[in-house]
Amino acid sequence: MPDIVVCFKWVVDEAYIRRTSSGDLDFTSVDYKISEYDRNAIEAAVRLRDAYGGSVTAMTVSVPEATKGIKDALSRGPDNAVFIADPSFRDLESSQTAAILGGVIKSRMSCQLVICGEGSGDFYAQQVGPRLAEILGIPCATYVQKITIDGGQVIAERKAEDFVEVVAMPMPALVTVLPDIGTPRIPGVKDTLMASKKPVVTLGKGDLERIPEASLKTVGMKASRMERECEKFTVDTADIARFVGALQRKGVLR
Amino acid sequence: MPGVWVLAENRSQTLELLTIGRFMAGKIGTSLSVFLCQDRESAGDYMACGADEVLLLPEIAKDQSLDAYIPILSEEAGKADPDLFLIASTFRLKEIAARVATRLNTGLCSDCIKIYFNDRSGAVEMERLMYGGAAVQRVVCQSRPIMVTVPPRTFEPAGTESGRKGQIRSLKESPRSAGRVLERKRRERESKDIREAKVVVCVGRGVEKKEDIALARELAEVLRGEIAGTRPVTEELHWLPEELCIGLSGIQIKPELYVGIGVSGQIQHVTGFRDAKVICAVNKDANAPIFGVADMGIVGDLYDVVPKLINELKK
Ligand SMILES: Cc1cc2nc3c(=O)[nH]c(=O)nc-3n(C[C@H](O)[C@H](O)[C@H](O)COP(=O)(O)OP(=O)(O)OC[C@H]3O[C@@H](n4cnc5c(N)ncnc54)[C@H](O)[C@@H]3O)c2cc1C
Ligand SMILES: Nc1ncnc2c1ncn2[C@@H]1O[C@H](COP(=O)(O)O)[C@@H](O)[C@H]1O
Repeated sequence: MPDIVVCFKWVVDEAYIRRTSSGDLDFTSVDYKISEYDRNAIEAAVRLRDAYGGSVTAMTVSVPEATKGIKDALSRGPDNAVFIADPSFRDLESSQTAAILGGVIKSRMSCQLVICGEGSGDFYAQQVGPRLAEILGIPCATYVQKITIDGGQVIAERKAEDFVEVVAMPMPALVTVLPDIGTPRIPGVKDTLMASKKPVVTLGKGDLERIPEASLKTVGMKASRMERECEKFTVDTADIARFVGALQRKGVLR
Repeated sequence: MPGVWVLAENRSQTLELLTIGRFMAGKIGTSLSVFLCQDRESAGDYMACGADEVLLLPEIAKDQSLDAYIPILSEEAGKADPDLFLIASTFRLKEIAARVATRLNTGLCSDCIKIYFNDRSGAVEMERLMYGGAAVQRVVCQSRPIMVTVPPRTFEPAGTESGRKGQIRSLKESPRSAGRVLERKRRERESKDIREAKVVVCVGRGVEKKEDIALARELAEVLRGEIAGTRPVTEELHWLPEELCIGLSGIQIKPELYVGIGVSGQIQHVTGFRDAKVICAVNKDANAPIFGVADMGIVGDLYDVVPKLINELKK
């Protein structure tokens, strides 16, 4: 009956990022969300608990406004949450995030399995999971497609380039999971109501050990360019013919 | 001895990293070392391709994964204090890189697409994608070593130079890691490499069932192209082989023509074919983001449009 910690990130919804005429990123109309694949990670944790017992704690390091994210996460099935928040946590580097998560898990929690997503929606650095395993001094398997628990061991099927590697790790252990580990549920009204009753431990900077300096410094950020003709056609036979004619003129038909 | 280090899982990845490694070693004014785990016969080759030193990793037991190398790599780096550590972005090496970086208290630039030496500041600058590919981030690393993972196919493979010499050094046995590999299930490549294809028809989640991929396949045939898929279709539903996933976490292509069928056009996918010459799309939702990044889009039900399109193309 493992107690599971699942780590999720509250990220900007990249679909709302615009590009200014000077090529900068425009965040004025962005919304935030639980990082796409972390929803699959939460689902995986909840399914393991339902199969083997134990509990699921959802955990995030973020800015105080991310309380919405905590509610959202809890409505997806975890039993409780740990919210580590400070206004200065907006631009943490992967190594700092891992240090904060590691410090809190070591000093305040006991868990047998830590689950992270494959990579976050904004950075997609794919680092926090393995860095956290290293900080906790526990074995780790990344890009996992399937998890089973057998006695004190986690059996994980991890994806590599030309094969799938099945590994057995003594618990406590950490896995980062691919999205096909489980399609996230869509929380209903009841789930949302229940979520607000679940216990949340909120920690601030004062509750943490010293946070290491960032190693990587961002010296530039440019929006990617995508300028296309954006011509639209309908399903009319005439329009389809016009479409094929245009392809011909562009010289891409062979 | 400081230097530029290279670690990859196979020969072609190693040769690519030797290209950039040799360039960076020249700029920094240091030597180039390469790790070798399997095909030891390659040592001479790698030296001819620019390596000054080949570091032989010990064989690890069959039931061990690559993480068994973490202690040796960290220990060697601790002793030698390398300037730059270039690692191939494979599934398993990405994990190793992050864990070694943690042990060395240093930063890691993941999936670096460009790396250069700023002659004015003397800094190594690296570029990577952010926000699913909506932005390019440029970073410098303020601690040593600078660690980088580089996706395969980012650089040309290194060529040989005659008369080059180097040293070989064997590294000591490593302690066993806690995990144990129970089994390795081979995954055969099910399709040919579409990175060279001139025309690619991409199947998105708008296709209702696996059998309907035949429709996209027929279109691809008429266009004399290959078929590919979005991530949900390949890696989640497994309707098409995983190596046909186009995008941030899949492959990047640069065909003359890309045609998306029932593809919404989320940024992570679009990142995979941004440089195609002509981009076309069929989607029933006139507001789908794909129309904002396509040259020509047909608004309509793919089950109506694609047969008509095939007919017209056959004329
Ligand atoms: C970190 C990260 C990495 C990712 N990497 C990748 C990647 O490498 N590659 C990738 O593809 N995705 C990637 N994704 C996922 C990506 O964000 C999108 O979820 C995915 O590309 C959507 O695939 P889709 O367009 O097939 O499906 P959907 O978004 O579900 O779109 C289906 C579309 O089909 C249309 N449609 C439905 N029925 C019909 C019909 N009958 N006729 C015509 N149109 C129809 C709908 O209008 C809709 O626009 C990544 C996501 C994250 C968070
Ligand atoms: N701020 C954060 N709080 C909690 N978990 C995080 C945070 N950032 C990243 N993670 C976890 O680490 C994974 C990889 O993130 P990244 O290294 O940013 O790609 C995510 O999928 C999450 O599971």
